[in-house]
Formats: sequence, C-alpha cells, structure tokens
Amino acid sequence: MNRLAKNAALLAAFAATTALGQAIPDRPEKLTYPAISWEVPKAKDAKVVLKNKVPAYLVADPSGVPLVRVSVWWRGGAYLDPAGKEGLASLFGSQLAVGGTQKTDAAKLEDRLEALAATLSSSCGPTSGGIHIRVQEKDLAEGLALLMQALTQPAFAQDRLDLAKKNARQGLERRNDAVTSIAQLQMPALLFGEGFFATERTTAASLDAITREDLLALHASLLHPANLVVEVSGKLERRAMTDLLNRTVGAIKAGPAAKPSPKVPLPEFARKPGLYVTDKDAPQAMLQWAFPGMRRSDPDWYPAMVMNHVLGGGGFAARLMKKIRSDEGLTYGVRTQLGEGPYWRGDLTGGLQTKNATVAYALRLALAEMQRLKDEPLTEAELASIKDGLVEAFPAQWGSRQAVANRFADENLNGWPEDWWLDYREKVKAVTAADVQKAARKLLDFEKMVVLAVGKASEIEAGDADHPGALKDAAKLPLARLPLRDPLTLKPIP
Amino acid sequence: MTVFRGRAPAALLAAAILAAPLSAQELNVVERTLPNGMKLLMVPRHDQPTISCGWLARVGSANERPGITGLAHLFEHMMFKGTTTIGTRDAARDAELNRAQDEVQAQIREEMTLLREKQRRGEIADMMSPAARTPRLQELLSKFDALVKEQRALIVKDEMDKVYQENGATGLNASTSQDRTFYIVGLPSNKLELWMWLESDRLGSPVFREFYSERNVILEERRQTLESRPGGLVNEAFNAMTWMAHPYHWEVIGWPSDIAQVTREQANEFFATYYAPNNLTAILVGDLDVEKTFALAERYFGRIPANPKGVPPVVTLEPAQPAEQRMVAEVETTPSAEVDYKAVPAVHADAAALQVLGVVLGGPPMMGRPGMGGPMRPPSGRLHKALVLDQKAATRASASFRGQKYGGLFYVSATPAPGKRPDEVEPLLYAELDKVLKDGVTDDELARAKNAIRVAWYSRLESNAGIRESLAQAESAGTWRDLLGSQKKVEAVTREDVQRVAKKYLVKEGRNVLLTTRKGGGEGMPRRRPGGMPPGGMPGGAPALAPAPAPAPASAPTPEVKG
Repeated sequence: MNRLAKNAALLAAFAATTALGQAIPDRPEKLTYPAISWEVPKAKDAKVVLKNKVPAYLVADPSGVPLVRVSVWWRGGAYLDPAGKEGLASLFGSQLAVGGTQKTDAAKLEDRLEALAATLSSSCGPTSGGIHIRVQEKDLAEGLALLMQALTQPAFAQDRLDLAKKNARQGLERRNDAVTSIAQLQMPALLFGEGFFATERTTAASLDAITREDLLALHASLLHPANLVVEVSGKLERRAMTDLLNRTVGAIKAGPAAKPSPKVPLPEFARKPGLYVTDKDAPQAMLQWAFPGMRRSDPDWYPAMVMNHVLGGGGFAARLMKKIRSDEGLTYGVRTQLGEGPYWRGDLTGGLQTKNATVAYALRLALAEMQRLKDEPLTEAELASIKDGLVEAFPAQWGSRQAVANRFADENLNGWPEDWWLDYREKVKAVTAADVQKAARKLLDFEKMVVLAVGKASEIEAGDADHPGALKDAAKLPLARLPLRDPLTLKPIP
Repeated sequence: MTVFRGRAPAALLAAAILAAPLSAQELNVVERTLPNGMKLLMVPRHDQPTISCGWLARVGSANERPGITGLAHLFEHMMFKGTTTIGTRDAARDAELNRAQDEVQAQIREEMTLLREKQRRGEIADMMSPAARTPRLQELLSKFDALVKEQRALIVKDEMDKVYQENGATGLNASTSQDRTFYIVGLPSNKLELWMWLESDRLGSPVFREFYSERNVILEERRQTLESRPGGLVNEAFNAMTWMAHPYHWEVIGWPSDIAQVTREQANEFFATYYAPNNLTAILVGDLDVEKTFALAERYFGRIPANPKGVPPVVTLEPAQPAEQRMVAEVETTPSAEVDYKAVPAVHADAAALQVLGVVLGGPPMMGRPGMGGPMRPPSGRLHKALVLDQKAATRASASFRGQKYGGLFYVSATPAPGKRPDEVEPLLYAELDKVLKDGVTDDELARAKNAIRVAWYSRLESNAGIRESLAQAESAGTWRDLLGSQKKVEAVTREDVQRVAKKYLVKEGRNVLLTTRKGGGEGMPRRRPGGMPPGGMPGGAPALAPAPAPAPASAPTPEVKG
C-alpha cells in the first residue's frame, strides 16, 4: 500500500472526526491536565525502632494481595574479607538461607519452605547484604521463624557449601567469556587499583581456602543489632507487625564475638588517566569511560544530576543516545550514570557496545557532545523540559510499596539523611542553565578521564574506514594495552 | 531492571501466567471494544497517582517469512520515529526526502543483487564488507548520506521521547516477541490524555523516518544481544534446528542478510496489515476512571479505520518431529546439557498439567525481587535434588514448560559438575524423567506445585506494571480471559494428568538435545534459554563501577524478560 496515499486518507478521516467530536488539539503541548496531589513518602512515617534499637521500615500494601516480604539487611560485606580468603562475604551471603540451621537441617528447611510456597533467599555484596523472605500472609509467623533461625543459628551445611564453591568456581571461569565481563574486571582495577575491595579480588585459591568455620566466624561478628536494618512490605497491620518484629528481630542480642562493622575503607589509588585497550576476539567491543564525580551530599549534586541526564542518563532523549544511536546507528544503546557515593565520591561513568572498528569514532562523538555541554549553556526550553520531566516522574520512583520500603532501608544502610528526598523536586527546579554548564566544566575534565575498550585491539586502535581516525587521536591521553587476566588467579596474562 | 525498547527477542513465559489462578476478587478487569475493533482492557487501582499504559499488536516474528525475517522487530523501532506531526519541522519536505531516499536505496539494492551474485560465485567473500563495494555502490552510498544529512536538519530528534519525558513518563519502551509487539509507558495519572494523543497519532499517521539507518542500530543490537553473548550463535542454530518448519525457526531479531535488505515498502505493507485497530489491544492499569478513559479512547483511537481484511493466519504447523535431533557444540562458556521437548501452545488443554510437571521437576517459576535486582529464589525441584544434591553430578539442574501462541517446549537442562561431561549428565536427566513416566508424581508434590503457581501469580498482582505484563502475555497467546480458565485448569490437574502429559510429550522422538563443552577445554555454564536476555543489563552494558558487584552465582537464572 502506498504510504502517502494512506496517510492522506487517514488525515482526512482525522479532520472529519475532529470536526464532529470534541476537538483534538493539533499538538500535544496544547493539552491541559488536571492537577494531582502527591506527597513524598516519609521514612519517619514508616519507621519503627525495635527494642534492640534496630530500625525497621514498614510499608503496608492496601491492594489486598496476600503476600508479605521481610528483609533483614546487615552492614558488612566483601570489604571485610580477610587476605587469602577473598570471596568469603559473597559465599556467606549465598549460604545463610540455604545451609540449614542448628535446629532444622538444610533439606528439612527447604521442605518447610516448599510446603508454605515461601521463598527464603540471601546474598551479600561489597558493603552490605540481606536475608529475605516472601511468604503468604497466613504463614507469616512460621516463615519469619524460619528466617530467624537462618539468620541467628545458621548451620552452613558442608555439602551446600561445597556446591556453592563449585558454582562460584565456574563463575570465575566465565570471567573472560564476554567483553562485558572482562570490562567488569578491568575498569574497577583502573579506578581503584589492585587489592581494594571494589576491584574483583576473588581467586580460585582464595575461594578454595574458605572453610565453614570462616563463615561461622563472619556470622558471629556480623550479628550485632547495630549492623541491622529491617524492611517489610505487603499485607500487614502496623501494630501487629511491630509486635512480631519485636519478638523476633528485636530480640537479637549481640553475641560475644559480635561487633558493629568497621567503617568501609576509602580508596587511596592514584588513577592514571589514559586510553586502555584489552584484546579479546569478539564481534563487538565494549567501550567505557569514567570521570571523577562527587557524593550525593555535594552542593553541586543537583546541577550535576541534571547535566548527566542531558548527556546520557535520560534514556532516548539524552544527547549521546540521539547522536550515537539514533543519528549514526553505531550502537544499540549508550548511557551515562552519576555515582552518588556513599562512602567516597562516585564517578561519572558511561559506556556502549559497538563494532570494533567504530569504537574510536563513537568515542570522538561522545567527547564532542561532552565538549558541547561545556561550551554552550542549555537553552531555557531544554532546561525546562528536563526539569519538568524529573519533577513529574518523581512519584513513579515510589511506584510500589516494596520499592518504597526498599528505598528507606537502603538509604539507612548507606547512611543518607532520612529527609533527603523531601525537597528533591524543589532542588531540581532551582537548577539553572549556568549551574549545569558549570557542572559540565567541573566534571567532564578530559585530562582526568579513564577510557577502556575491550575487543579486537588492532581493529579498535585502527578505527573505521568510513570515519577515519585512530583511537590514539580521539583524546590527548596515553594509549596503553591492558592484558587480559587469568580468570582463576587474576594475574595479567603476558 | 532497565529495559530498552528494541531490547531483543523476547522470551514469553506465557504459560507461567496462563496457568496461574485468578479470581474476580483479585483482579478487576473491564473490557471494552471500540467500533473499529480495538480492544481496551482497564484495571482501576487507585493506590498511587500513576497509570501503567500499553498496547499490543498481535504480530511478531511468527508472522514473517524468509526474506523479511526481523521485520516485526525493525518495525517496533520505526514506531518511535515520529508521525506527520511529531518528529519533523517540515512534513512535506520530509516526505520528499523519504521518497528520494527510497529511490537511491532501490539502486543500492540493485548493486547489492550484483554483489550477492558475486558472492554466490565466490568472487567476493562478504558482500556486506566495505572492501567489496563497487565504485557505483560507494557513489550511491554517498548520495544517500547527503539525503540523510538534509533530512536530519528537518528532524526533531526523538520528539516523542521528549514530549513523554517532560511530562513525567517513565519506562517508555517496546518489545517484540515471536507472537506480539508491545508498546509501554508509565505516566502520572493526570496525563492519560497525552498517552491517547501520542499513541493514536503514531497509529494513525506514522512516518518511518531514518528507516535505513535504523537497520544499522539493529545489526548492532544483534551483535550485542546475540553474537557477542557466549554461545549466542549456537543458541540461534539450536533453535533453528528445533523448529524445522514453523516461523519460530528464526530468532525475533532476524537473519542479518534480511535485516540489511528490508525495504520501506515492505514495512508499509506490514503496518497496513498488522497495525489496524482490530488487531490491537490496549491495556491500562492504575489510577483511572473507566468511563472517562473509554470516552477518551473512543475520541482518539476511534478515528483510526479498521482493516476489514483482518490478518492472515499463520498456517504452517510444526510437523511431528520424526526423530531425536542433536547438536554438539563448543562454546566459550561453561558446559551444559539441555533437552527441549516439543510440547503444546500456551492455551492448549494440556498446558496446565505440563506447567505443574515443570514445577515438580524444576521448582517454582524463578522470581527475583522485581525492579531491584537482589537475590533469586534458591533452586529446588526433583532434578536439583537428584542431580545436584544427591548425585553431585551437576551444579545446576532445572526444568520448565514454556507455552507460546503456536507451540511450546518443555525444557530440561543441567550444568555438569567439575569433572563431569555433558554427555554423562544427559542420561541422569532421562532417569529422573523416567521415574515420572513410571510412577507419576505424589499428592504432596502436586499440591505444592499448585501453591507455588498461585503465589507466583499473587506476586504479579503487586504492581500496575506486573498486571499489565500478565494481561499482555495472555492477550498475545489468546485472550486475557484465558487467565480465568487457566486457574481452574491448574486447580483441576490430577496426578494422572501429570503422568499422562509426561508420557505423551517427553518422548525420545520429541527430543532436541544440545550438548556444549567449553571451547579449548575447561569448565563452563549453562547456555541461555533461547530469547532470554541477561538480567538487569542495559544496552551499552556499562556496569555500575563502584563498588563492584559480588560474583554472580554460576547458576544465575534468567528471570522473565521482555524483548
């Protein structure tokens, strides 16, 4: 069918309908909308302090879905791993919920959970971890009792631990399988140096060295009320839930070995800005970059956030997406992120995947867009559009009860002030075009940039015939090859 | 989870939903149909001032044929390129430039035909390589680039994204599966009319701008989501082996040769056939008033004419598989043994019993903490207990039934433990299946599986977006009313039913076996299920850089994902 003829016919139909019915405006900007009122959920309204001083955030779901979710989070993670036993916190996290308890062995625990159609799971990351249950409201008491057994009296059954170590070992073996996973090893090493917990440290040897006793010892030191935060959402009645929590999590006392987790260490690594290339035979390369950023508490945070949104944080409307994907067809997606801390300043990072040969061109395009943000202030219309979007989309960030409870718990774990979000919209509205330009000039400092490309090194470095230019000429930074690491030892492969 | 539009080929766990219990008290769906045939499903939920919006076209890669594979998905991308009103400063000149581009592209295709002939004769290695271009082709490409540049000056780039975004929209996206294409966005509830305006505009007067350059985006998407994925190309070949005749044979993203050659004319025909209102269902879940919403829909979508011819049926039936099919491959990841049995579509009378069987063998549907990453349900089910815990022959073992619109597969797979080969693990899988064939399942297993399916359904009802997804999946395989019937079907499943479907479908002739070992030796991990996408990934794949995530468990399951 001829598209033009069809469109003409449709336009005629549109016009006719419009004349008969209620008018449809010719542009969406002409629509008017009723006001809606919405208030930011307040952490203090959800908060209950249990009798052992553990904070709990309770968010009831009025929809009537008969499920309850309870999470108990702890401060402490991979940064606590002893030398030679890197990977301990991660294994601990994976085993807490599945290794059985002193009262109920692993198979019996699995059987009870299956009988209740309840899900009990746990994990531990770099700085914190948690144990979680999803259970039907009618089975809450038993479900929570099982969670408490696992949390306070874990058995860490040897056969489950052996299985987890085999699984973890297979995970290590996959480290060099994809450009994305290689970049996950290399980039943190460039930003934080070797040996720091934010850089991958687990080796086959360190994994092998971890014993059941190590898990028990970590558990004994972590289980201190000062380390815990509780998150509850779903079908619940506040008073009854508070009572139940006080009888369970609220009754946890510090054992003899328990202590508040030490402070998360800060990186002391001096970064070497540069263009780094890791050779990997792959049809498409991964390109990433990073600039030093700031903490969320920085006075320039809001302008920086708006700037990041314009550059690459704002999805399809962001400038990098328009240029590199939409105009040039060089990638499926490009995005930037402004890290918020919380323990040290975050980084402004970004990345994309593209053909090996077009890495240099894509990088040039990205840097040119960054330069434009430094050179030209946003127009007032552009700024207003971005700010309106951030403000109007804010309620959606609190879209489910689970998300609300999770945010409160997460903010507490990370030590952010409880009232942080209350004036978010006002702070966004106050950002000016000059502020954004200032943030761009401050953050997008090419001399401090670390760039990593993983893919076919020779093609990456040579550039593209249709868009000539070698990688070394994309930025005034030294170019260096970064060898792959042995996936089991993490040592560079010569 | 970040999901981007065009995010590749889609896994539909339709069965997980279709067989889930539902009662009128749990979900209040109001169905209305416009005079032009467009169906509207509305679910009022007044808890938060937001609405999860979407509409789906009952078209996917199953409606394609060789030569135009990938078109349904390319089309999904084109639906974001604007209309006669949105996306251009000068609609008339824009249309002229599109026509001029089409003419140059027609000449380019003539050159490509010559190159294809040269490749056929072995005179060139790869017709797509820049080195193979003839002088005329290079000249035409330059001419085309000039037209694109001229048009770009008139384009208001991604204007629909911009209008949505400044009005507080979130999650604007679309996805394509074998069976359907789904366009979604979340909005503040006072902006519902904006959705009506923009969506009826792009259905009523779309312009497929930047058509030819978007093919390059899709080739990059294919590289990122399929070719760069460890084992991705083997997955594609295995899927093509499994489905010999039915259009499920090709991946949603299509074959590269077809993507590079598809024409605007083909896209126009596709749109006229499949995007008429009588092939669409709109789904709105959230803070809405049913009557006002329907009145708005009548005003906006009612102006789009129906396609009286309807859509042609997909007539190809997958023939009964005459023999077991096997593929043995080396991939750059952990070894795996997978057996996929031909089964039934999601709405088939046997689907509920197959779903129960999948839960007994493989544990409940994997369910993470949606939207916030976090840990997954620990593994369970007969296969895990036998192969992983008791025999210690595998580090992961799973089973599930996945029913789609035109067919379904029953999946069984395991990751060999270190020191075990996939061909050693394969018979252990069969041994567990044989126990079901011989002795069936227990009453307790049956009751637990039904409970697990019910709880999985409840967890979908917790958010507007979860309800929207459930309705969309049901509509893509049948109608949302199948949700009601499937509740009864699951509740009615007996031990005899489970044993009967096991005997009927888990037969040797129905097997498709994929055994993979690590390229160059070593250990490895399960291949990903066809159509799956990595959890929580983003296009570009830039990870959060600090602090680094804990290593993923080796058997990290793939949660349900959108295309």
